[in-house]
Amino acid sequence: MIDFMPNLNHFLTLSAILFTIGLFGALTKRNLIVILMSVEIMLNGINIALVAFANYTIVAISGHVFALFVITVAAAEVAIGLALIIAVFRTRDTIDLRNINLLKW
Amino acid sequence: MSEHMIWLIPGLPLIAFLVNGLVIRPFVKSDIPRISGYIGIAAIMGSLILSILAGLDVFDAPDHRIEFVGYSLINITNFSLTLNMGILLDPLTALMLIVVSSVSLMVLIYSQGYMSGDANYTRYFAFISLFASSMLGLVIANNLLILFVFWELVGISSYLLIGFWYNRPAAAAAAKKAFIVTRIGDLGFLIAILFIFNQIGTLDIAAIHENVNTHVLSGAALTWAALGIFAGAAGKSAQFPLHVWLPDAMEGPTPVSALIHAATMVAAGVFLVARFFFMFEESADALRVVAIIGAITAVAAALLGVVMFDIKRVLAYSTISQLGYMMMALGVGAYGAAIFHLFNHAFFKALLFLGSGSVNHATGTFDMRQMGGLRRYMPWTTATFIIGTLSLSGIPPFAGFWSKDEILSDAFHVGTSIGDIVFWCGLIGAGLTAFYMMRATLLTFFGDYKGGAKDEHGSHEHPHESPWVMVFPMILLAIPSTLSWLVNTPWSHDLSHFLGAHSIKFNPTVAALSIGVASLGFIAAYGGYRASWYSPERISKSIGPIYTFISRKYYMDELYESIFVKNVLYRGIVTGLAYLDTRFVDRIINNIGWFGRNIGEAFKLAQTGHTQAAAAVLSLGLLTIYLAFFAYRDFIMGGNS
Repeated sequence: MIDFMPNLNHFLTLSAILFTIGLFGALTKRNLIVILMSVEIMLNGINIALVAFANYTIVAISGHVFALFVITVAAAEVAIGLALIIAVFRTRDTIDLRNINLLKW
Repeated sequence: MSEHMIWLIPGLPLIAFLVNGLVIRPFVKSDIPRISGYIGIAAIMGSLILSILAGLDVFDAPDHRIEFVGYSLINITNFSLTLNMGILLDPLTALMLIVVSSVSLMVLIYSQGYMSGDANYTRYFAFISLFASSMLGLVIANNLLILFVFWELVGISSYLLIGFWYNRPAAAAAAKKAFIVTRIGDLGFLIAILFIFNQIGTLDIAAIHENVNTHVLSGAALTWAALGIFAGAAGKSAQFPLHVWLPDAMEGPTPVSALIHAATMVAAGVFLVARFFFMFEESADALRVVAIIGAITAVAAALLGVVMFDIKRVLAYSTISQLGYMMMALGVGAYGAAIFHLFNHAFFKALLFLGSGSVNHATGTFDMRQMGGLRRYMPWTTATFIIGTLSLSGIPPFAGFWSKDEILSDAFHVGTSIGDIVFWCGLIGAGLTAFYMMRATLLTFFGDYKGGAKDEHGSHEHPHESPWVMVFPMILLAIPSTLSWLVNTPWSHDLSHFLGAHSIKFNPTVAALSIGVASLGFIAAYGGYRASWYSPERISKSIGPIYTFISRKYYMDELYESIFVKNVLYRGIVTGLAYLDTRFVDRIINNIGWFGRNIGEAFKLAQTGHTQAAAAVLSLGLLTIYLAFFAYRDFIMGGNS
């Protein structure tokens, strides 16, 4: 018998943990593909928060709709991101972020 | 008549200006685009008809006064500043409307002949329509600030017209001089406007009148406000010592001189003083200044007219002198006489200028020493010019006599020392006027012809009468030059009653004196320039230094040039400003630039190109803002839950 009823705070905590893990990955990893994956984790953390708010607060489906939009945009962004990564790899033979630093003074 | 109809009075010439300037000039290509002249003439004719109708309305209106509050342009309640663009029609306005539009109409018709063949025919008619529009607008404005706007528009159109032949250096310089000298007077006017607003918080002319009547505005404040207004009037009406621009303004086309520098624009100053005469009436000091300046101008300018050889300059100084007459009449309280003289003067002075233009058309010069004997070639011009001369010199029954006589009688009957000064100055001026006008007439139209200008335009050996389109307006102007006094005969004083001014009984002694002085002037000129009783050259040589002093225009141009412009303006103010500019303003600007560049040098080091470092800083920043927000909410505002 499980009488554990998750409330809003549980979902928000999960969302924050996922977001922080994603942020940590995005800021520390060297490989562009891994960074892209980390960004996806961040987006999913946000999605959880959106759906949780929509479920626990006002009776409205804007949170769900918003989450769906985020998923859609994320899909498009992955497509573009991967294409860019391939383009970078073709010109520079590497996708290590430490070597991609031309945009400076 | 409705408000909109009255706005059409300045509106029609404005439309003519826009059409001529924006449509005809760029798009209609022809050698002589006569159409622009017709547009201008049609517009001003419409204005004349509307002006006459408006004048009749004013005549029928109770108190001879019509006011439309008009459109609200600015309404700032915090500063209790409201600005209405409305109309104030009173007898003075009605009279000015008719004078301005009728003289403008004559001048425009004449211009068709005088300007024919000029490459910039269309530009000329565009500018002169703009001038007529702004002058008519100035007259009907009910608000001091709106009046000032039109006042400045008159100034700019006179600048454009004086410098019409801008490729002649003299014309360009004269235009600049006219603009700058009148601007000095306008500064006083502007200060007076701001001062009046500061004192009573309104610029509505009727409201100012009310405030003066109830002594809200009185004492020294009133005197200073009146003097500021007079400064503007002195600039525009070429009163001593701001008269120097008007003779130079003769560089413009002659019809422009007739319209602007004789009949209408210079009358704007007199009009302004007349419009605010209720202020001057309350301040004896201001009136005294007006009278003295007017008297000095009347005599000093007449003396200059005596020594000039350029026929237009003679007429220019005569204009200044007559404006001095009007000012000194206002100064002794002879409001009706001053306006009467303004009315008459507009017609005969326009006539004289058109006559001088006609002479120039025939001989190619304005120098009277190269003319002479033109009466045999130009009968119409001669006849009308002589009518103008008699009128200006004050010979009855021509118009000039009656108004000049009324000014002198008024001054004679005031009985104060100022009145006496004005009276004697007026008499001396009348004598000098008769002398130089007779001299100009004799040199130009009598004796032997001396051949006119000898320049690249070929000889003027056989001068001929001007075309009909030029002679016709002169004949039309000769009629009011003779008869315009009928509006204010000494036995009925219709105009004075209409204007609400006091009138004075005809004084035979004064009339006899003024006729006598004028005849003396005539005889002296006849003796010198026709009958050779004496030689003017020998006299001018024998009084050598005095003659030089007068013929150099009292050295006032040199005085202004070398003292004010060179030393005060250039050495003093301009050099100081240049020092301030290079040492102070420029240095601030340079230092700001240096600072920006060096800050950039320091901060660019942060741009390492490491994407993740940038993202980390961004995240930290976001976190900081987030924490700061909650800290503020929970610890400083005390929390919300």
